[in-house]
Amino acid sequence: MAEPAEEKEKKGLDIGLEKGVSKLTPEKIEQTINDVLDKECGPRFKTYVETCIHCGLCSEACHYYLSHDNDPRFSPVGKVKQTIWEMLRKKGKVNGEFIKRAAEITHTECNLCKRCAMYCPFGIDIAYLMTVVRRIIHKLGCTPQYIQDTAHSHSVHYNQMWVKGDEWPDTLQWQEEEAQAEIPTLRIPLEKEGAEIMYSVIAPEPKFQAQLIYQAAVIMDQAGVDWTMPATVGWDNSDMAMFTGDSELMGRLKRAHFETAARLKVKRIVMGECGHAFRSVYDMGNRWLGWQMPPIPIVHAIEFYAEILRAGKIKVAKKFSRPVTLHDPCNVVRGGGLHEDARYVTRQLCETLVEMHPNREHNYCCCAGGGVINCGPPYKMKRIEGNRVKAEQLFAAKARGAEVLITPCHNCHSGLHDIVHHYGVGLEIKFFGDILYEVMEKPEG
Amino acid sequence: MPQVEFMGKTFTIDEDGFIDSFENWCEEWVQWVKKEEGIDELSDEHKKVIEVLQDYYKKNGIAPMVRVLSKVTGFKLKHIYELFPSGPGKGACKMAGLPKPTGCV
Repeated sequence: MAEPAEEKEKKGLDIGLEKGVSKLTPEKIEQTINDVLDKECGPRFKTYVETCIHCGLCSEACHYYLSHDNDPRFSPVGKVKQTIWEMLRKKGKVNGEFIKRAAEITHTECNLCKRCAMYCPFGIDIAYLMTVVRRIIHKLGCTPQYIQDTAHSHSVHYNQMWVKGDEWPDTLQWQEEEAQAEIPTLRIPLEKEGAEIMYSVIAPEPKFQAQLIYQAAVIMDQAGVDWTMPATVGWDNSDMAMFTGDSELMGRLKRAHFETAARLKVKRIVMGECGHAFRSVYDMGNRWLGWQMPPIPIVHAIEFYAEILRAGKIKVAKKFSRPVTLHDPCNVVRGGGLHEDARYVTRQLCETLVEMHPNREHNYCCCAGGGVINCGPPYKMKRIEGNRVKAEQLFAAKARGAEVLITPCHNCHSGLHDIVHHYGVGLEIKFFGDILYEVMEKPEG
Repeated sequence: MPQVEFMGKTFTIDEDGFIDSFENWCEEWVQWVKKEEGIDELSDEHKKVIEVLQDYYKKNGIAPMVRVLSKVTGFKLKHIYELFPSGPGKGACKMAGLPKPTGCV
């Protein structure tokens, strides 16, 4: 059996970044940086930059810093020092190499998970400062290729995986048919005006993971929910433009999403198990459009499952017997406060919960979120090496009996899969929906 | 990018284990991915999935929806996952020599 040969270079070429940087001129760099810092960044930016006393208390909050043996270059403040502060100090007069490095730092060495913001004595939101860097990188045309391709798909099709107009309803009808083999009366109601709930997902579900739509349909059906899905654009709640700093595109996507829900006259939008999409509709996208809170209430799957379980709309036939541990995704826990709901759902569905430590809002990031996994294969090992602490945290939970790892977020799911596989942790990874579907009372097939 | 040697061939792969170029796809690559993905036995059904993926990719430059894959092969979704446990976007695309799909996957 052949073993992989020695790596010839540290990582693969990122065309988006390399080509983008090759086209830069000193004038363009200077003007773009100063435009963003002077014209787009208001008092919030100024306050953060001027308040930071460089104490370094944010360092140990960061999984990259911890996983790189406390290398200060990976500390949150170190990442600000290598990007924003240099741009300010040199008044935008930095070179292409600097921009390349800044793009790598902000796109592949920070997950915007905001754990550091909790440990900063002043509450400085360093993730926000990193998004300012991404905004500059975007305006310079140097965004890493894989995530930029995703943003292009958003721009063309209003979804992140190049799903064409007719392919979306076709996929829903296909999953309706497959689910009808199990529950003959099941429907996935399309375009039902006045339904209580619009259910929204991210594009990987119809593209490759259609079983998640199947499961959701069974849960909705059995809970007796008055729900619908749109047949038009606006169904994909994801938003990689939010992570590339393309705020205009982010706004366009969120507007389409909310307008679709408004057109269907639904009371609430329930979304599947995704973290970044939650951030885009509950925090960044709605606020960019001018709504402090979503114009139509957003209910994340965790909250929705808790609601239907509390109301007794779903009965558990037999609890999931294998011991589980629970990964708290940053966007729905630090960003949405859903950690106790997540534990309620876990206890309702599973016999044994083995907490990992730290947990809840102090949990370590998966190292995939913030658009980092979306930067693609050139940076996979960086994600894995940058999150050794996650592997250690998971090994400790496993030593205390955990066999299954629940994570209610797509990015966490994929990122943790890579961590578990690489370090040989040996945990099976599931969504809440997988377990709920498995243990719920259903009609005999 | 890392290189692997297998059955007398040398492949250049990205960090997710996808081949550097569709042009370099060959039968030995299929065998390499079979081993990497932990697939016990390659059947005609695996080959059919690969053919459909490649045909679609040549025409459209991206991987098809799993719906299209199901419709053209006649395999149910569950069966596609039985053939490729890591899924159509990972294992099947990898074996067919397609690049890693972009997006949250």
